[in-house]
This record gives sequence, structure tokens and C-alpha cells, in this order.
Amino acid sequence: MSKIKRGVLFIVILAVFLLASSVGMECYVVHQLNGEVTGRNRPFAALTVEPEDTLDLLVAGDSESYNSVSTMRLWDDKGITTYDCGQGAQRIPETYYMLKHAFKKQSPKIVILETNTLFRDIGAVKSTQEILTQAGQYYLPVFRYHNLWKTVVDEPEMHTNYKGFVIRDEVDPYEGKPDYMKKKKKCETMPEYVKVYLEKIEELCEKNNAQLLLVSMPSPKNWNHKRHAEIQKYADGKGITYLDLNKKVEELGLNWTEDTQDKGDHLNVYGGAEKVTSYLGNYLEENYELEDHRNDPTYEAWNQLAKQYKQNLARIQGKIEVAKETGVGK
Amino acid sequence: MGYHSIIYIFLFLPVCLFVYQLAPEKWRGRVLLGFSWIFFYLLSGKLLVYLLGTTLLTHCIGIWLTVIRMQEAKAVEGLERKQKKAVKMEYQKKGRRVFALGIFILLGILGYLKYFDFFTVNLSHLFGHPVLEGWRPENLLMPIGISFYTLQAIGYMTDVYWGGTIQAETEIWRTALFLGFFPQIMEGPIARYSDVADTLYTGKSLEYRNVVDGYVRIFWGLFKKMVIADRMALMVNQVFDHYADYHGAVILAAAIGYVIQLYMEFSGCMDIIIGSGKLFGICLPENFRQPFCAKNPSEFWRRWHITLGAWFKAYIFYPVSVSGLVKKWNQYGRKHCGKHITRLVTSAIALFPVWVANGVWHGAQWNYIFYGMYYFVLIMLGIAVEPVRDHILEVCHIDPETKIWRTIQIAKTWVIIVVGELFFRANGLKAGWYMFCNMIKHFDAGQLTDGTLYTLGLERADYLAVIVGCLIVGIVGSMKEHGIHVQKKMGELAVPVRWGIVLCFDYRYFNLRSVWGWISDSRSDLRRFLR
Repeated sequence: MSKIKRGVLFIVILAVFLLASSVGMECYVVHQLNGEVTGRNRPFAALTVEPEDTLDLLVAGDSESYNSVSTMRLWDDKGITTYDCGQGAQRIPETYYMLKHAFKKQSPKIVILETNTLFRDIGAVKSTQEILTQAGQYYLPVFRYHNLWKTVVDEPEMHTNYKGFVIRDEVDPYEGKPDYMKKKKKCETMPEYVKVYLEKIEELCEKNNAQLLLVSMPSPKNWNHKRHAEIQKYADGKGITYLDLNKKVEELGLNWTEDTQDKGDHLNVYGGAEKVTSYLGNYLEENYELEDHRNDPTYEAWNQLAKQYKQNLARIQGKIEVAKETGVGK
Repeated sequence: MGYHSIIYIFLFLPVCLFVYQLAPEKWRGRVLLGFSWIFFYLLSGKLLVYLLGTTLLTHCIGIWLTVIRMQEAKAVEGLERKQKKAVKMEYQKKGRRVFALGIFILLGILGYLKYFDFFTVNLSHLFGHPVLEGWRPENLLMPIGISFYTLQAIGYMTDVYWGGTIQAETEIWRTALFLGFFPQIMEGPIARYSDVADTLYTGKSLEYRNVVDGYVRIFWGLFKKMVIADRMALMVNQVFDHYADYHGAVILAAAIGYVIQLYMEFSGCMDIIIGSGKLFGICLPENFRQPFCAKNPSEFWRRWHITLGAWFKAYIFYPVSVSGLVKKWNQYGRKHCGKHITRLVTSAIALFPVWVANGVWHGAQWNYIFYGMYYFVLIMLGIAVEPVRDHILEVCHIDPETKIWRTIQIAKTWVIIVVGELFFRANGLKAGWYMFCNMIKHFDAGQLTDGTLYTLGLERADYLAVIVGCLIVGIVGSMKEHGIHVQKKMGELAVPVRWGIVLCFDYRYFNLRSVWGWISDSRSDLRRFLR
């Protein structure tokens, strides 16, 4: 009996320590660093320090998401506050816990989920592993931030980002088939664990009064009609709005020789993301009721950041013009 | 699902423990077998058939050999001595053929899957035209752990064939569990049947002490693997994969880094494996015993990957040592060449196949074979210079047991280990030779402080973590070497002290950050106040 008592006591003490240090990490250390964390946990930390109830829109998904939606363009055009909380190769359990984390402090009206992440099939073992990892890190953030001690020794090297959006100005043309969205009879099916977590995300959004919007960002390398058909079928069945921008390449005015940074995998900033975001801004304005915060003094920091963004963009545009004239950089 | 993965430690093991405990004692061994096969299937999918095939073959050969022995015993009953001998010979011949068949099939499968391409590529080079092209499909996969379970199977068959030490298993699940027990299947230790038979099949209920000790060992292994080895791997991979970009001291740093990485990874994995066995009360053989305390290469190999060395010793070294050839040489040598030369040649005859096998076992690459030969040559040199060395020590009045002499020997062994592992890790023998020459020719200690080390994927903090980690492992190892059982010692400490140490150990990161934050906060408060 005493052994069982000792065992239970051990687990209790351990749990208390883990919880205490988790709370300390998230409420103290991450704030102290002003959310400036390098690597994969950057969006988690950034959302932790974002002022409460200031975001209208969250964009989640893998690298397609944060390379396509320019948060500052949305702000500048429509006064919508957006955070790109996607991560490279984000898998859906991570998306789910990212949103769950964001909802702690924010009450966005819309959640955009980029659909490329819905086809990340990693098999039973890896998906179980991913679910365990993400749940563990969500409930005990001390595991998520265990590497932060390094900031005591090494100053973290932060890259400028605009509420999750990173300016990528490389140009590497897509040279594949232009009709990559040609109709096919078959659908590509989503893996089972994705379906489970997609439903969980739907429930999470519903509980937090946010509307879920599925969007496929233009990417000839990743997207095709088989995937489109599967998502369309799913969205129709559930009554979720689905917007496939790959079907609107002409309307968006995308030019695959200039608007992609890596042969049609991701959009670049000046050609791709700006065009897509302008379209998305109009779409959101037409279909949702979102407040324009541009003249609200509490959002002044957004205006400042947008100014910086535009300056950077102008500099890049200048570079591109020079490159076009001299033929260098292609 | 690696042994250090969350899914193994926090899901697979607990579920297995739970089902094991619920099952009746008689069935617990079969529960372990079931989980072992599930584990193998999750890793290798359909390649499980190789393991099943090997199990069936090993089991049948074991029984066949036993049957032959029983027939022999029956046949010689009541016979005269002369006749007895003849009958015995006949049965022994039969036994030998069955045994050879078993070994041939096992080695055949291993050879075909693992070495066939190496063999044909080299033959093609030799003959200048493709040899046996297309005899092995390119997409043919090799099951994980084949090198480990094949050696165990051969060991088992040989022990049964030799008779005396073990009896063949009559129930197939027992043979299957011996060959496929999930903690061992990927990385060893290569157990001999007699090492594990006592505890593997008992089906004992879970015990508090075993579970605690098992998990402590598992977490110790995780520490070595995740804090030290995974960090080192970044730097080591960068240098070894782009070796032409780096020179002298950086290459030396990477070679030392690789020794650290390999030890922490391999021995850490062993801690997890042996800890996993311990949870069920199963004692798996140890694979490492403070290898960096070794005074010479032979001793190093008695402390490093112990079970592999022990396997070669039992199944190659001893049989060769007592073979007819060696016996004949011994007789001849003693008469004509003197004691020392006889011993030297005898050792060479017995050790050469051991070290070829050691090199080849590690993989089908020339640098692995070189690695085996490297140790063969060094060990032979050690034996060759022994009389001269002893003489010098005597003349100079140096006691080989003094601390200084032992330290020199340990340092010398470290150099040997680092050079050996440099060739072992290098991307091919050519790359290894290039790196070795570059390391010596362009050595300049300044290369370690010019900032290159921080461009290899590790920051200052990472090096700090590695150094602190190595110190902790080193201190624990040194205590063990002196017969101090660290875990037991920890258990004797008062509870608050114990927790204090655990917290310093596990939460130093958090503490460091918070304490530092508090100090810098107070500093800026103070500055503001002073203004």
C-alpha cells in the first residue's frame, strides 16, 4: 500500500511541477521575450502575447497559408486584423491545437483553413505520435518551450514578420502544365485522422462563434482537381464555405512566370500574395460583416506595421524593376 | 516508432504493461510476443514474414537437432564401444548437415539482402563488366533488425548443436519471443539464449521496483539521446557530409563529436531497451561498460557493444582457436618459431575472421571493413610489442598500475577510438582518408575559436548543453566504474534533496531562464531607481 501511495505522491508532485513550470513558461517567460521565439513555436508564442480580442481573422494551415495571405495588405485595404498562424508542413493536430490556443485570448469572426494540410498522409504511427506530441505540448507548454533557456546564452535571430506573414521576394517560374486543374473523375481521399481533426476544428469554431472558411491557395505543384473535388464534396456535405483560388487563376491575374517563388509550390509576395490577398479582402467584405479598424486609435500599432511593410515592399519592387531592366536575378 | 519516440514510451509501453498485467501468468509471454510482432509490423510492415520465417526455421532446426541426438542415444544403447563410435559418427555427420543447412539458409538470406549489391558492384569493378546484374531487385527491402535477430538465431542453433549448454525449445512461441522480443529487435543487445531464458518466459507480475527502475533507466537513456546525441548529430552531419569544406581542427572536433554522438545514441538506446525489459522483470544483457575507461583496444571492445564482441568470441574466435589448423600450427610453431611468434600467429588466425566479421557486420561498405581491419591490426600490434613494452617498463622501473601510466594508456585508447570512428562515419573510405590527412596536415587550434564551430548548426548554448550533459554522464560512469550504484545512492537521499537534484537536472532550463529574467528585471529596476 505504501508503495502505491509513494507512486501516487510522485506522480502528483511531478504533475504540480510540470504544471507550475508550464504556467511560468507561458505567462512569464514568453511575455518577457515579447513572444519573439525562433523556430516552429513562433506563432504559438506570438499569439500568446497578442493583445486580447484584437484579431478578426485567423489563417491556419501549412506553408501555403502564410505565403499567400498578406496580413498587412488586408489591413491596409479593409482594416481587417489577421494573424497567419500557419507553419511549414503543419499537420492538422497542430492546426487544431494552434486554433485552440488562439481562441484562449482571441475571438476571431472567421477562421481560414488552407486545405493543403488536409492531404498530409503520414500513416497511423506518425499521426498518433503527432497527436500525442501536440496534445502534450498544448496542456504542458513547458515541453513546447523547453529550448527557450538558450536565449540566456544566445540572442535569438528573429526575421521580420508581419503578423505571421513573411516577405518572400524570390521568383522561380512554374514551368509545368498550365491546366493543372483539369477535371478528373476521381477524388483523392483525405486520411482518416485528418477527418477526425477537421471535425474537431469545426466544433471548436462553432463553440467560439467563428465561421470556418476552407480556402485552397493557388499552387500548381500541390493542388489538382482530385483534391478540389474531395474538399468540395466534404464542404457541401457539411455546409461549409469552400473557396478554391486555383479555379480563379485568371480572375486573380496570376502569372506563373513571375508570381511564384519556387516553381509553383508557393506564391511570392509581390506577384502572388498581394494579388490573392486583394481578392480575398474583397471576398470577405462581400460575404462577411467585418469591422474596419483603420481609424481606431487602439489599433495604431497595425498602421505602423503596415507602413513598414509598404516601405519594404516598395524597396523590393524597385529591386524587381531593376532586375527586369538589366536582366539580372532571373 | 523509434525507442525514443513519445508513442513508444507513453503509449506502446504502458498499453503493453497493462495488457501484460491483466493476462494470466501462463499467457503473459505470449502477450509479449503479440506486442513484439505488432511492434515489428508497425516498423517494417509485411517484412515481418522474414522474422516469422527465421523463427520457424530456427525452431525446426533446434528440434531436428534434438531429435537426431535422441535417436543417436537410442541407437547406441547396448552397442559395443567400437560400434558405438561408428554409429555416433554417423549421427554427428547427420547433425552437422542439418546444422549447416540452418546456418546456410540464415546467412544466405542475410547475405542476399544486405551484401549482394556490395559484392556484385565490386566484382563488376574488378572484371570491368557488370556481374550478376539484376539478380537482386532494386526495390527489395531489408527488414529492420535482421543483423541482430539472425545472429541470435545462429547463436541459438549453434548452442543446441553443440549440446550441453541449452536444450532446444519445444514450444514455438518461446523461440519466437527469444528472437523477436520488441525492445531488442532494432538495436540488440544480441543475447545468447542462456542469457535471457531465465527471465524471458516467467510471466512474473509487474513489480513496483522493476517498473520504477525500468522507467528511470529509460529516462536516463532519453537524456543521453535527446540532450546530447541529437545535438551532436547536427554538427557531425554538417562536417562529414561536406567534408571538403572543413579543415584540421574542425574535422578533429567533428570526429570527437561523432564519438560522443555514437556513444550517447547507442548506449542511450540500450538504456531504453534494457529499461523496457526491466519493466517486465526481464534482464537483458548489458552492452556497454564505461568504454572510455579502457586502457587498450581489446579492452575497449570488451566494454563497447559487449554482446557483439561476446558473440564473435563464442561463435568465431573459440571454434577457430580449437580447430585442427590452429592445433597443428601450435605444435609446429612451438618447435620451430618460439613461444611468442606461435602465440602471435595463433592470435592472428583466430582474430582475423573475428574482425573481418565485425567490419562486415556493421554494413556492406569498404570503410566498415577497414574499421574491422584497423582494430585487428592494432590488437595484433599490441600483442606483438607486449614483450618489448614489458621489458621497457621493467628497465625504467615503471609500475603499469600507477595512475599516470593508466591515464596515458586511456588517452592513447581515446586517440585510437576517435581515428577509428572517423573512418567509420566518413562517407566512404576515400572521404575518410581525405579527412584524416586534412586533419593532420592543416591542424590549427585557432580554427576552433574563429567562429566556424557556430556555423555547424549548433549555437553556443547547444555546446554548453553537450558539455554539461557529457560531464553528468561522465561522473555517473566514473561512479559506476568505482562500484557506486548511483540510482541506489539517490534512493538513500532524503526526499527533498532527491527532488532538488531532479529539479536542477530537469528544470535547469526553466530555472535558468526565470532566474536570469528576474536578475535582468531587477537590474533595470535598479537602474531606473538610481536615475
